[in-house]
Amino acid sequence: MNELILQMKNIEKSFPGVHALKNAYFDLKAGEVHALMGENGAGKSTLMKVLCGIHKRDGGEITLFGNPVNFHNIAQAQKAGISIIHQELNMIGDLTVAQNIFIGREPIKNGIYIDDRKMEKDARELFGRLGINIDPSVKLGRLTVGRQQMVEITKAVSHNSKILILDEPTAALTLPEVEELFKIMNDLKKNGIGMIYISHRMDEITRISDRVTVMRDGEYVMTKNTREVTKDEIVKAMVGRVVYGETKKQSAVPVSAPVVLEVRNLSAPPMVKDVSFVLRKGEILGFAGLMGAGRTEVARAIFGADSKTSGEIFINGKKVKTDTPEAAVKNGICYLSEDRKRYGLLLIKSVAENSVLASVDRYISAGWINDRKIKKDAKAINEKLKTKTPSMDQLVKNLSGGNQQKVIVARWLLQNSDIFIFDEPTRGIDVGAKSEMYELMENLASEGKSIIMISSELSEIQRLSDRVLVMCEGRITADLDISEASQETIMKYATMR
Amino acid sequence: MNNLLKKGKQNAIILASLIVLIIIFAALNPNFLEKYNVVSMAQSLAPYAIMSLGVTFVIATGGIDLSIGTVCIAAATVAGKLFMNGWDIWTTIPVMIFIGTLFGLINGLLVAKLKLPAFIATLGTMMFARGLSAIIVSIPNIFYPTGTWFNSVFSNFNGFPVGFFWVIGFALICAYLMYKCKIGRYILSIGSNEEATRLSGINTDMYKLMAYVISGLGAGIAAIFWAASFTTVASATGNGMELDAIAGVYIGGTSAAGGIASISGSVIGSAMLVVIRSGLNFVLAKFNLDVNSTYVTYVLTGIIVVVAVLMDVIKNKNANKVKSRKKA
Repeated sequence: MNELILQMKNIEKSFPGVHALKNAYFDLKAGEVHALMGENGAGKSTLMKVLCGIHKRDGGEITLFGNPVNFHNIAQAQKAGISIIHQELNMIGDLTVAQNIFIGREPIKNGIYIDDRKMEKDARELFGRLGINIDPSVKLGRLTVGRQQMVEITKAVSHNSKILILDEPTAALTLPEVEELFKIMNDLKKNGIGMIYISHRMDEITRISDRVTVMRDGEYVMTKNTREVTKDEIVKAMVGRVVYGETKKQSAVPVSAPVVLEVRNLSAPPMVKDVSFVLRKGEILGFAGLMGAGRTEVARAIFGADSKTSGEIFINGKKVKTDTPEAAVKNGICYLSEDRKRYGLLLIKSVAENSVLASVDRYISAGWINDRKIKKDAKAINEKLKTKTPSMDQLVKNLSGGNQQKVIVARWLLQNSDIFIFDEPTRGIDVGAKSEMYELMENLASEGKSIIMISSELSEIQRLSDRVLVMCEGRITADLDISEASQETIMKYATMR
Repeated sequence: MNNLLKKGKQNAIILASLIVLIIIFAALNPNFLEKYNVVSMAQSLAPYAIMSLGVTFVIATGGIDLSIGTVCIAAATVAGKLFMNGWDIWTTIPVMIFIGTLFGLINGLLVAKLKLPAFIATLGTMMFARGLSAIIVSIPNIFYPTGTWFNSVFSNFNGFPVGFFWVIGFALICAYLMYKCKIGRYILSIGSNEEATRLSGINTDMYKLMAYVISGLGAGIAAIFWAASFTTVASATGNGMELDAIAGVYIGGTSAAGGIASISGSVIGSAMLVVIRSGLNFVLAKFNLDVNSTYVTYVLTGIIVVVAVLMDVIKNKNANKVKSRKKA
């Protein structure tokens, strides 16, 4: 059972502006669960996408069952025995369970029609083998996310996959569902199937995995037998780098500082349940929590991007309505989404136009937009933020992630926003640009702007926040001063189901 | 500056193609450049070009307005009916503008507020408007006056194509609205990324609605020029006009995906279609070809639209390639 079935050596991959994988290494034995760990942006998903042929690698070798391979697409990888179970499931809700399992290779009866009965029979057999109790004739969309995931695993098994990649499989599961998943994984191990398990949840890693590999900034850090390594060692390997610098020891903002934003009993079903908190002037308020805890939804509800069912918002003690982004912006709130391309940038427009998008009003005199003044102001603010761009006419799509982020910050500075909501401000940004982003946020705070920072990187939270709110399943479970916000404490509240 | 130069270069290419077309037609049949034909082309340009200008705003948001052609005819029909019932000719002008704007408002509400897909919403109003004018026209046809001040102001003053100068005037107003005014800036932003624009605190629904109102207004104004030039509305008149106007916009370089618009391009694009329509008549006549020039026009227009948009797609692709290589 100990033969090496997969080995990835010296893997290199670059995207425009980001060196995503540097000399990465990973291997997998038959019948083991090998946890792949690292923070967001460490390169785990990229490495797996390189393995499956979704991304073409720039360098390195992949050996599968002793043979060098180079897949060009996911279909080839699947044929060779690798299946990937994504965080977001790739299945069709309107088809039945059986139809989903056999999609693309439906049995044909009499040469003309699809034999649904045979599919259901085969599916039932597969479920029986794996000890799963699901009716293959129901529509997939009617199952819970956890059960859908089991269908996807069953589909992989039916493809005779020898390697399963599970990318944060428990992110959306309830506890009993996690138990069921682990039972199935143990069965698959006995059948000699190797599993790559990507997760942030330390408890699960120590329970289910045999070995742990840690990646950081696209590089290989270490591989250890799970039994011989402590949680602390893993965390240290994951975050041990200088980019974050020292964690903040104590809040820079006194409790007596004026409250600029107060949110009372905010609810926006299904993800936001009765959220109340305050934000003080000059404060960086960290929002920690697991994926799907409802942090982004809180931000969008405050900003008026999504509708809320109840809740009051006070700015500088005055009750305001922020039912649309327009109203929120007028009240000095701005929101910088993690998905900049979708929710932030006009990719085909220039740096100047993107910088002034929220404040065009100010550049109109006698009915004419003063483009010269726009460029002048855009230039000044982007120089201050050290945005790297050849000119103000450069199209934003040609900038790197970090510089695109700065253009959006420029937009809100020009708009004179006071309350900045940063949602995963450093996602998809290079390590070097990260520390610049941190500096930028610290400068904003010291200039008296108030910041809400949603981040899934605990080290980022610890480095920047004066206070940390922890969310779990739509509720705030803790309000911690930075001096008491250890990673353990945050994780404890983040998983308080 | 860079952008402006690029825009200028693109306009130059379209303008050059237009001139080449004119030269080809003139070479094949010198009568093509006779004064009466030039005047006739210039005056029939007005309704198409004005419609193109209006719909450019909708296309710039990434939407489409299929209703402009039939709305234009409906406006001319309703106002013409009133004229024939004894209303003074000048009263038809506000009536046509009102009807066009009303349809634009309806389209805008359907698309921006009720979130209907633009194609379906305007397909609905297009059919509605066509039916409406057919019911009103029935028999007899509707006749606008000829040789009155109405024709002199909006079509032809002693052989001088007034309509053409109106087009230039409207184009200048549209260029101001599109490039130097908040409304155009926001319409282009919506076309680039509607959600990002909304999250920048801009009332995107309102600006989208306004784009459709401008488009409807364009159709209403076009109706005035159409009535002054063609003077007779029969039941199937003007079918497919919207397609010509929209084709002119695409040929002119406005992006079908939105975010990029060329006002001068829309004028030159519709001029190109007018030149083709007229030029083919002359060429077919010259060589005694017994084919309906309308059909040949469609064939040629179809090819030009596809080629124009294809060139745009290829150009963008290459531009991206060059840039990403530079970065690596």
